[in-house]
Amino acid sequence: MKPKKLSFLEILDSYSAEESSLIPLLQDAQDEDGYISPEKVEGIAQHLKITESQVYGVASFYSQFRFTPPGRHSISVCLGTACHVSGGETLLNTFERDLEISPGECTPDGRFDLNRVACLGCCALAPVVKIDDDIYSKVNVIKLNDIIGLYE
Amino acid sequence: MKISIDNKSVEVSRQMTVLEAADQNGIYIPRLCAHPELIPYGGCRLCIVEIEGIKGYPTACTAMVEDGMIIRTNTNMLQQMRRDLLQLILSEHPAACLLCDNIEGCSMFQETIRKVGVTTGCRWCPKDKDCELQRIVESFDVHELSLPGLYRDLPVEKYDPFFDRDYNLCIYCGRCVRICNEYRKSSVIAFRQRGKFTTIGPSFDENHIDAGCEFCGACVSVCPTGAMSEKSRKWWGLPDTYTKSVCPLCSINCDIQVLSLRDKIVGTLPPGKPHEAAGELCVKGRFCLSEMVNRTKRILEPSYLFPEGEGIIGWKEAFKRGAELIKDAGKGKTALYISPYLSMEEYSAIAYFARSVLKSSFVTSSCLDYNNTEYLRLSLRSIPLDKVRKSTSIISLFLNGNYNYAPLTMAVKNAASSGIPYYQIGWIRDSTSRFATNSIVPEPGDQVRILDDLIESIKGKSTHDPVIHQLAEHLKNEENALIVIGPSLISLSGMQQVLDRINVIIDLTRSKIYAPNPYGNIKGMLSANEMKPVEIITEKVEKGDIALVYLIGDMPFSERSTDYKLIYQSAFPAPENLRPDLVLPSAVWGEFQGTWPGMKGSTARARKAAKPHDYAKLNIDIINSMSAYAGKKGVLESMSKKNRKITGKFIPHLPVRESALENEEKLNGMEKLPFILISERSPHTYMNLQLDRAVEGLNELISPCYLLINHSDARKLGISGGEYVTIADSEYELTRPVKIRKNIPAGVIYITDNKSVIGFKSNPCYVNLSREHV
Repeated sequence: MKPKKLSFLEILDSYSAEESSLIPLLQDAQDEDGYISPEKVEGIAQHLKITESQVYGVASFYSQFRFTPPGRHSISVCLGTACHVSGGETLLNTFERDLEISPGECTPDGRFDLNRVACLGCCALAPVVKIDDDIYSKVNVIKLNDIIGLYE
Repeated sequence: MKISIDNKSVEVSRQMTVLEAADQNGIYIPRLCAHPELIPYGGCRLCIVEIEGIKGYPTACTAMVEDGMIIRTNTNMLQQMRRDLLQLILSEHPAACLLCDNIEGCSMFQETIRKVGVTTGCRWCPKDKDCELQRIVESFDVHELSLPGLYRDLPVEKYDPFFDRDYNLCIYCGRCVRICNEYRKSSVIAFRQRGKFTTIGPSFDENHIDAGCEFCGACVSVCPTGAMSEKSRKWWGLPDTYTKSVCPLCSINCDIQVLSLRDKIVGTLPPGKPHEAAGELCVKGRFCLSEMVNRTKRILEPSYLFPEGEGIIGWKEAFKRGAELIKDAGKGKTALYISPYLSMEEYSAIAYFARSVLKSSFVTSSCLDYNNTEYLRLSLRSIPLDKVRKSTSIISLFLNGNYNYAPLTMAVKNAASSGIPYYQIGWIRDSTSRFATNSIVPEPGDQVRILDDLIESIKGKSTHDPVIHQLAEHLKNEENALIVIGPSLISLSGMQQVLDRINVIIDLTRSKIYAPNPYGNIKGMLSANEMKPVEIITEKVEKGDIALVYLIGDMPFSERSTDYKLIYQSAFPAPENLRPDLVLPSAVWGEFQGTWPGMKGSTARARKAAKPHDYAKLNIDIINSMSAYAGKKGVLESMSKKNRKITGKFIPHLPVRESALENEEKLNGMEKLPFILISERSPHTYMNLQLDRAVEGLNELISPCYLLINHSDARKLGISGGEYVTIADSEYELTRPVKIRKNIPAGVIYITDNKSVIGFKSNPCYVNLSREHV
């Protein structure tokens, strides 16, 4: 059986008030609903007795933390070396234009969020786009529309 | 330890960095991120050196000296690398000020890039000629850029009071972030994101006020570029004089230096090198003093109220009429109100003036009311400020140190962050709250009960509250337990009972006390003058027993009730309906030299930094001439040379009251409502000027006319900033606009204007909060 998801306050209580708890705490806080809200930053800061700026400074350093709610589907465009040279950047730009969002943001209807990743580990298939847990290989701009249509 | 720097053999006594060793021996190594108050960072890399036996080029600020080390700081290779590093820095830093073709002729001809015949030169960096980066680039003779430039195009941040931030000029040396974090212990700003997207600021898009900034200006002082600049003197250029002085605004009397340009005060800084000293000033000492002195609404000329109306007169005429008014009033018919913000010299002159010229013993000050006097009595038991750091535990009562008493809050923060237990009791979250081991937010009316519990617990009775028990243990067992008391206590209900309890605690234990006072020189005022309680004198005035009221920088009433003559001597205008008979413009702090005794134990001298404003004269000179016109020897002649130098101990004589005014207030049995309203008498004054109304930036911070509420309360009730809300208890209600502030705890409403909330039963009290429906 899957363990019950902890609420944010329970997550806070499960960590001691030390600065070293910050990153694991941020990770758990993000797991709860997919992003770190200003309220969570405030809660973590109060719990660890550091300022919100310090929490946000650390959290925004790492690309794994996001500060806007994720969409129903998460698009990751690979910009690793192989994908980059075979047109990853163009794919990302196309997504940005079509969805009218920048990387790290979510469409207003909550359908997609867009991210860039450094490498997905399947460089032979470059350029690669990942939507949720599905990998699309050797993608080009023409294919993108069909791919997006698969997700609601 | 013996080391060699640039072939110079050098003796080093202790563990230190190579940079410190070089500095000590007069060898200059360029640096942009190193700062004497800060932990070495190694960010700018300009201080690279060669050390024999060590691979590569270590940075001097992070390398520790070792015995026998051979260091070279100035080889061709190093200089070339530094030049390359500067190229990298300049590729992201707009550098027209350094690389303009016309740089040499510019200062002479002030050429313009516009197609019109104006000769302005281009002034777009506020730190021009005062910039560390500029100085270093010039010393390296860099005249062109070898790398393509990148302009970050970040918006200039102007929405916070007192300083602007243009991070396009930032070189990411991290000094501001580090000084805020390591030295001031505020951690308001941090590096956000990484790589070329890095920016500096508070979390998300918060402003500095909500992020808990005290506006101490340390970040502005240490910034090596023009990224941070003071709003008030941004385009003034370099000051020409730096004068040692003392801040007159609260009883701590911090040392400061006054910057002036062409005999005009343009700013203030903590003592030390202008770019290095981060200092311990609060926002008032750092930013408000110069705005106060340069306030446009100052009295410029003496004036007299003729039967047909007010008219400007000359000084001679003014003295003549003043002397007449004094003579007409006669002996014992004059009341003298003086401000608690003057210097010792002025007070001794005033004492002579009252005794020999006015021939009156009715000397008082509007700050000498019952609560203030009793608070001062406690305040005089304070230990010296430097002992605060040596405390073994600290309890603060009703301390609101956000924009006040910075040396005190810094000492508390430093002590608490080094592991000393710190407890905070009160309703306001200030910059020390984050360091508190435990905080108690009492229910309204419980301010006395908590102390009673504490006393019982000290006496050995068991208490059910574990925090009170801990507090009692600290106070009972420790030699150096410290109780810090904030002057917001003066405005609380049951203030006398709280004071009584505190005195009992001090007598029961060996604990020490520190209670700062919002009145800059109340101690000096009371040591030079025998003064009466203000309500006694004001009663006499209202009964008509007084023929002449003489105000020196003080403002005890806002209108005239009975028919007496009024001489008004101050720098700032009187309220409109007061209509004084004679107005005498006086100089303010910074325009004369004087002595301040302060709470530090030693006397401090403030030197003259600028000449008095317009036709204003020094208080001493006015009194001196007035005495002469009244047929007495001038004050200055009456003081022998020895007397004029003010030294020694200052022993204040507190005004004596025949009986205590207050009875035990009943504080319990209040009906519980969802919010706690707490008000405070504004501690931000100078003479009769309300600083939080006069200085725009401070007004923004304090917002005296607003109800301040917590952001989560505002969200719950759907209130946005600026909206009008009504607070009410069973008997009284008040409608005011709100401001949303993070430093107000949830469930608390705060207002710095205790006159408007006088109708409420007590302070603090329970209230309901509702949106005003239009």
